[in-house]
Amino acid sequence: MFSWLEKNPFFFAVGVFLVIAFAGLVEILPNFAQASRPVVGTKPYTVLELAGRHVYIKDSCNACHSQLIRPFKAETDRYGSYSLSGEYAYDRPFLWGSKRTGPDLMRVGNYRTTDWHANHMWEPAKTVAGSIMPAYKHMYTNVADIDTAWAEAETVRKVFNVPYNTEIPLQDGTTAVVELKDLAAEKTKALEEAAVIAKDMKRKDIEAIVSEGKIPEIVALIAYLNSLK
Amino acid sequence: MTVGELQAYGYFILTALLVFLLYGYIFHLYRSQKTGKRDYEKYGRIALDDDITSEPVEPHTKKEKKGEA
Amino acid sequence: MENRLEYDYSVAKLFMWSTLLFGIVGMLIGVTIAFQMAFPSWNNWLGEYLTFSRLRPLHTSGVIFGFTFSGIFATWYYVGQRVLKVSLKESPFMMGLAKFHFWTYAVLMTVAVVTLWMGVSTSKEYAELEWPIDLLIVVMWVSWGLSIFGLIGMRREQSLYISVWYYIASFLGIAMLFVFNNMEVPTYFVSGAGAWYHSVSMYAGTNDALVQWWYGHNAVAFGFTVPIVAMIYYFLPKESGQAVYSYKLSLLSFWGLMFVYLWAGGHHLIYSTVPDWMQTMGSVFSVVLILPSWGSAINMLLTMKGEWQQVAANPLIKFMVLASTFYMFSTLEGPIQAIKSVNALAHFTDWIPGHVHDGTLGWVGFMIIAAMFHMVPRMYGKELYSKKLMESQFWIQTIGVVLYFSSMWIAGITQGMMWRATDEFGSLTYSFIDTVTNLFPYYLIRAIGGTLYLTGFLMAVWNIYKTVTSSKAVAESSMQNTTPMGA
Repeated sequence: MFSWLEKNPFFFAVGVFLVIAFAGLVEILPNFAQASRPVVGTKPYTVLELAGRHVYIKDSCNACHSQLIRPFKAETDRYGSYSLSGEYAYDRPFLWGSKRTGPDLMRVGNYRTTDWHANHMWEPAKTVAGSIMPAYKHMYTNVADIDTAWAEAETVRKVFNVPYNTEIPLQDGTTAVVELKDLAAEKTKALEEAAVIAKDMKRKDIEAIVSEGKIPEIVALIAYLNSLK
Repeated sequence: MTVGELQAYGYFILTALLVFLLYGYIFHLYRSQKTGKRDYEKYGRIALDDDITSEPVEPHTKKEKKGEA
Repeated sequence: MENRLEYDYSVAKLFMWSTLLFGIVGMLIGVTIAFQMAFPSWNNWLGEYLTFSRLRPLHTSGVIFGFTFSGIFATWYYVGQRVLKVSLKESPFMMGLAKFHFWTYAVLMTVAVVTLWMGVSTSKEYAELEWPIDLLIVVMWVSWGLSIFGLIGMRREQSLYISVWYYIASFLGIAMLFVFNNMEVPTYFVSGAGAWYHSVSMYAGTNDALVQWWYGHNAVAFGFTVPIVAMIYYFLPKESGQAVYSYKLSLLSFWGLMFVYLWAGGHHLIYSTVPDWMQTMGSVFSVVLILPSWGSAINMLLTMKGEWQQVAANPLIKFMVLASTFYMFSTLEGPIQAIKSVNALAHFTDWIPGHVHDGTLGWVGFMIIAAMFHMVPRMYGKELYSKKLMESQFWIQTIGVVLYFSSMWIAGITQGMMWRATDEFGSLTYSFIDTVTNLFPYYLIRAIGGTLYLTGFLMAVWNIYKTVTSSKAVAESSMQNTTPMGA
């Protein structure tokens, strides 16, 4: 049997494939249904938050920041309660990262404010002495892509049944609804939300851009970071 | 039986089978070498005598498709 | 006309030049981002286009998919013909296919570099490219597969040499992993709005992480381990004139590696939210993985049995022996990091890039460089330009690697210990920024180590360039084993 396998490239290839596919079959497939159930209080992202998430990905924040708090005292003391699988139910893709050159950001919305981010991203070392994080000044002028963010929200709603426009149970027993209307309505809504953030950022230049009907990347990014709780 | 149990049994049986196959293969290799049925070490020469004009260690002929087992 | 038949190296040559090109680019970016960690002001010289975060995916993709994969393809089109004893010249179809393979690859790599630089990314590590490029990759990969199986179909040698096994496994493994990890839904076609090239992952959260690290780890397996083992199983015996120490052991290690490797991906997710049994499985199998890895490495070292004087005499053998040694070292370090309690300390720290780089610089880099040195004289019919240059390159690069991993060990363990340090009242001793500023000297040493490695690589490129342009001609028939080289 073995010498036959060695001489027949086709069956050899099939054999290799079976052996390497085996681990994937056992490990990955059966746990899919289980792992994707959201915990109480986990909401889908709004369009502005998604646009911010795209900025986060575009500039690879995940190359240096994790979003995964491990169940150790040192980590929960530093970053807040440890991560649960269901909290990531609407994260496509996941953004756990693999390296902590900077601190974890899983619950950064709990302890950083809009104007802190606004100052920090402009010149990190001025906010945190000794920081080696690059300055992200281009985010203050580049305009966020709300169309693509909306397209993604609409896609996950249609294809993966992400519960937009649905009552979502919260931890205090009440419910909340994350609305997803058509593109034009969502653009208006995002602009309104952006105006609030721009005001909190205490920067006249950002407010000016938003009043022109455009949303700078930094505003969307802060909306996303504030949603991480 | 739950999916989890099925998964566990499937995993166990397949792993046992693969381990069995691997050990069977070791046995096969060394026995073939010992009984002189097949000299595996000669294949190491394939890398050394690799000019296009070199004599193949074991010529490939289109007709002889089947192996011995 | 049978006796006039020759091997055709035109495609191998093309891939060799792209190996060198991507090596320079990828390593240069690597050195740049290493210095940025020590001197953050370097980040902002070119607006958004020179920040660490934009360059990091370019570095990883550049050295993995540019340098390493070019090297794999170059050696395949060289080794594949030789061990199967069949020439691409014999079939115009196979020749065309090989050329098509190269040019698809060249186009897609160009597009990949430009889009990553612009920030078009899916964020999944080593799978950042968006769906249109993913499709191009599939075309490129399938044409490589056809070329492998096509050549095998034409072969004169009945048995497939062990290197061919590894190339086949590499092809199949990457194909499977790549397809599953890149399952994504293009958003434009569902919603009719936004950027046409944007897509969203088919998997969410923990599932996405599982698939990603199943891919991420095994892309290392089938990109950095399996095909490099394929290379050393050909080039070391050929260069030294010694047949593989034990052909049977090579077959066994092959199946062992195939079976065990795929389970080990879970070690990237220890203490995360994936099910506990998978974490344990990842940990256990990572330790078991030492066996097949060392099986190959020891086999390589034993191949040199009784011929150790060649290590001193021949720089190519030096490169390959050191590569196997680093392979052993790296495959021991990895399992140690996969042990749960060690992982608790090491995960997210600089020890991880340290581990990656002693594998990639020491094992992958050295092996590919040695393979190029072996192939160039035979493909161009010239002797290698300078032995002295190779000798100094060897030491410069070795020192570079040692500086790299030793500084990252210290940095990683320091970082891990500082993150978890508490005072007598149980509160954290250090704020996060303390753990950053503390690492400056190690980041600097690492960047210097990287610069040395890059310097050595540039010496290799120069050496190859001079070999091709102005070295002494040597008949190919006289190059059986030891590669001829000038002083």
